[in-house]
Amino acid sequence: MTGVTLHIPTLTTERLSLRAPRPEDAAAYGAFLESPRSAGVGGPFKASDAFDRMCNTVGHWHLRGYGRWIIADRETDAALGICGPYCPETWPEPEIAWTVFGGAEGRGIAFEAVSVARRWAYETLGWDRPISLIIDGNTRSFALAERLGCRQDGIYESPLYGAMQVWRHPARAEVLV
Amino acid sequence: MMTLTTERLTLRPPSPADVPALTEFYRSERSQYAGGNVPHSKAWSNAVAMLGHWQVRGYGLWAVTETGDDTALGLVGPYFPDGRPETELGWVLFAVAEGRGIAQEAALAARADARSRLGWTEIVSYIDARNTRSIALAERLGAVADADAAQPKPDDPCLIFRHPADAGGTA
Repeated sequence: MTGVTLHIPTLTTERLSLRAPRPEDAAAYGAFLESPRSAGVGGPFKASDAFDRMCNTVGHWHLRGYGRWIIADRETDAALGICGPYCPETWPEPEIAWTVFGGAEGRGIAFEAVSVARRWAYETLGWDRPISLIIDGNTRSFALAERLGCRQDGIYESPLYGAMQVWRHPARAEVLV
Repeated sequence: MMTLTTERLTLRPPSPADVPALTEFYRSERSQYAGGNVPHSKAWSNAVAMLGHWQVRGYGLWAVTETGDDTALGLVGPYFPDGRPETELGWVLFAVAEGRGIAQEAALAARADARSRLGWTEIVSYIDARNTRSIALAERLGAVADADAAQPKPDDPCLIFRHPADAGGTA
């Protein structure tokens, strides 16, 4: 009985479900935001920011017709991170964004999630060679970008986060194999 | 689309078309007591989050329009971020809507709908102590400052106005 009907598709992989954010995800997201891990995305932030950020994530779907999903464990539905196509108003161009919460590290989860999210953006949105913006010093994300076949492509000076590395994803022919 | 109507107003869910005006509001000094007066990117995030609240909760602040003109004059309605101690009636009014009783008319309709349709019983409004315009509106709505209510942000206390249980408020 919402006033607006919004369809956020669910994508699944072997281990993961990429689905719409839910209020129950705020706890896991908040724990990440206030942890030192969130330095990689400009943190630390207050845990209480999680709900607003999730509302922003869902509102982005409404506004753009695409957006980021919660990366959830396919069996337990626990929130492990956030990823997907993302384009805030002040961004230089649309990007494939990702964030992995503590505890989901070292199991190839981010690679698995971002791969299917990127494929969706290429297939459904017709994207080609989008970027990913990564804050300087976020070496884990640099490594994931490389594993995804991205190449470094300059620096974006963000008014919020300072210098961010621009990583450029491969062409359609390489992604949609 | 779900709407509420009053004598002069139509309240409807906010839409992507409202995001530019709402972003401007959150960039302006006018929003300094409503989590705004912030840089462009943050202002846009705040604006878009208002759309998302509807999806996450199934309700949210309504876009207030004059019936016959779809331009949003502000947002008024039920608001409940995760972790808040109580359910809130919130409002942000753009400068153009000032001084005509629009916020009050919209808030009365939104509050009545929150009670009847959402089943809300306790309704508060969290207001910065310096926000004299909002305090005046809360009082016109019959809300009374409740010094014992739980603070939503204990490290940054605000005034908490509790709305009357009945229809309340003066015309």
